[in-house]
Amino acid sequence: MAVLTDIFKSTLLPPTRRSERWKYSPISKLLNTSLSTDSEAINSGFSKEVDPNPVQGLEAYRLVLRNGKFDASLSDLPVAQGVVCMPMSEVEDGESPEFQNTYSQKEWVGELNESYHQDGMFLKIARNIKLDRPIVIHHLTDGIDVASFPRHFVRVEEGGEVDVVIWCSSTKKSSGMYNGLLEASIAPNASFMLEKVCNEDGEIYHFSHENIIQERDSRFMMHTFTVKGHWVRNELEIVSRGKGTDSIFNGAYLPTENEHVDNHTTMDHTSSDGTSSELYRGIMYGSSTGVFNGKVFVRPDAQRTNAFQQNTNIVADRGASINTKPELEIYADDVKCAHGCTVGQFDLDALFYLKSRGIQEKAAKALLVEAFLADVISSVPSTELRKEIMKIYQERHGW
Amino acid sequence: MLKIKNLHAKVGDNEILKGLNLDVKPGEIHAIMGPNGSGKSTLASVLAGREAYEVTDGVVDLDGTDLLELEASDRAREGVFLAFQYPIEIPGVSNLNFMKAAVNAKRDHNGQPPIKAKDFLAKVKECSSLVELDGRLRDRSVNEGFSGGEKKRNEIFQMAILEPKLCILDETDSGLDIDALRVVSKGVNAMRSPDRAFIVITHYQRLLDHIIPDFVHVLSNGKIVKSGGKELALELEAKGYDWIKEEQNA
Ligand SMILES: Nc1ncnc2c1ncn2[C@@H]1O[C@H](COP(=O)(O)OP(=O)(O)OP(=O)(O)O)[C@@H](O)[C@H]1O
Ligand SMILES: [Mg+2]
Repeated sequence: MAVLTDIFKSTLLPPTRRSERWKYSPISKLLNTSLSTDSEAINSGFSKEVDPNPVQGLEAYRLVLRNGKFDASLSDLPVAQGVVCMPMSEVEDGESPEFQNTYSQKEWVGELNESYHQDGMFLKIARNIKLDRPIVIHHLTDGIDVASFPRHFVRVEEGGEVDVVIWCSSTKKSSGMYNGLLEASIAPNASFMLEKVCNEDGEIYHFSHENIIQERDSRFMMHTFTVKGHWVRNELEIVSRGKGTDSIFNGAYLPTENEHVDNHTTMDHTSSDGTSSELYRGIMYGSSTGVFNGKVFVRPDAQRTNAFQQNTNIVADRGASINTKPELEIYADDVKCAHGCTVGQFDLDALFYLKSRGIQEKAAKALLVEAFLADVISSVPSTELRKEIMKIYQERHGW
Repeated sequence: MLKIKNLHAKVGDNEILKGLNLDVKPGEIHAIMGPNGSGKSTLASVLAGREAYEVTDGVVDLDGTDLLELEASDRAREGVFLAFQYPIEIPGVSNLNFMKAAVNAKRDHNGQPPIKAKDFLAKVKECSSLVELDGRLRDRSVNEGFSGGEKKRNEIFQMAILEPKLCILDETDSGLDIDALRVVSKGVNAMRSPDRAFIVITHYQRLLDHIIPDFVHVLSNGKIVKSGGKELALELEAKGYDWIKEEQNA
């Protein structure tokens, strides 16, 4: 049986545990599998297990991908003045986007995406255009030993505004790798909101990388929810390239059983007067394992930066664990930076207090979990999405 | 209503309650006094069902129910209420949501449907005016950033909402200013009824000037060593605990 590196050739070598960035997220098992982008789907058509529209009640445009390939019949793309939204495969040659990120030169995962990329969303929002509804990119993995390499490009011009949801699902019998990339550049005074949800059944190695470039006075807000996933690595890299940018990025993860969740974030302040606020919260159940690594760079020119970072974890069961590490590198003197990483248990005093008023254990824990997640989830722009995520968390963990 | 017989309890290897007996009838108010560290809060916690305390011997019977067999939440639903000596802060859980969940838990236990929003709000209004709890405090996270006195008021507010049959007040007077003490006592007195009983743990007579007990007990070294009427509290205030210890040793 061929190993992965024989099928997907690359100049960069796959990461090993010797690399600091991959120490707690080894992929040796994945490397011994033999995957293909042409694996046959288990279901003909979209699987019945998964609704093509993942967030019921959410009024949104939709771009549906199955195993990295665009499904026109299930998609509903916006047609509006000043908005270009189409699958990458339909972009005319002269129009094709120029990706600026260097991920493909830095990481094996990135190089694979660059070499083997499939379809994805190409989105341009013209000056001062605000799209009326969010766009949901729904990626379904459905197949055994399948590899998918979706790739998305977003450009929001000056004063423009758009909200994108990336939702990943997978059928129960599926296995393989999802390797997705999104690059967005946000022009001066423009806004980009991104909500990313991984809700995958089956045994998928899920790599997703977002690369955000922010120009002067632009706003970026992202939420990363790992709702369900066998092995998930979320990478987010934000570069602030102009004065006065604002970046908010929150995340929540509640893995259970033998799931693995890894969040790696980098916030790079290269210009002055920027603010960034990062809040990641996790509850580790069962025998799950987790990683959080948050890098914040404040470069010499980034005076008057205000950067906040917090990662809070509850280890709910004995067998679970998480490794968390903040990394701040500050080269400017007039800055405000606050950060904190904690790992703890459910607050037994709080639990007793709630129970002493007649609230039963399960309901009491639900109140505590909701309170714990509230700061992360309350800033999600759409109520429907917020509700759907809480609903799945609740169903999964039986509150 | 409540019968405690030969109660022994420990934390880790540390035996704290060492054969405690107490009998409380409906409508009565029992004050429990005693030196620091004698086991008063431990008794309260054991009655409320805190798991850190292990009961090694004895019986606690509440109207025919073996209380020690029940989980904390079931005890509360049977009508036990503990006003904490140190109320817990729970960031992110709103006081009102908390009370609504508690009210509905009890209603569920009694086979009743969830309370109507209108009825709940009326109840909240009535109970918060009873202890003069500031409206803003009701809407905030449970006890978060409350002053010591505000926390105690909030305990009695919760007690009024839940209408328990056995109310245990652990040093509710500590941290209250003179006016607050009067207000909180007024709230407690308003809740007195022929089928409700109170166990009031305190160090000071001044609370008992407002909430007049039927019995006063002295808890020392894990046991009730002396019981009497309300005049016992005055005697303790004047003489301290040494004379009781001497009496014990004699
Ligand atoms: N969780 C615990 N772990 C260890 N020791 C404890 C614990 N709870 C109580 N104790 C010990 O048990 C003894 C009785 O404590 P308790 O809190 O019941 O006293 P108390 O009578 O309420 O005192 P105070 O008047 O100061 O409130 C003390 O020596 C205390 O240190
Ligand atoms: Mg005490």
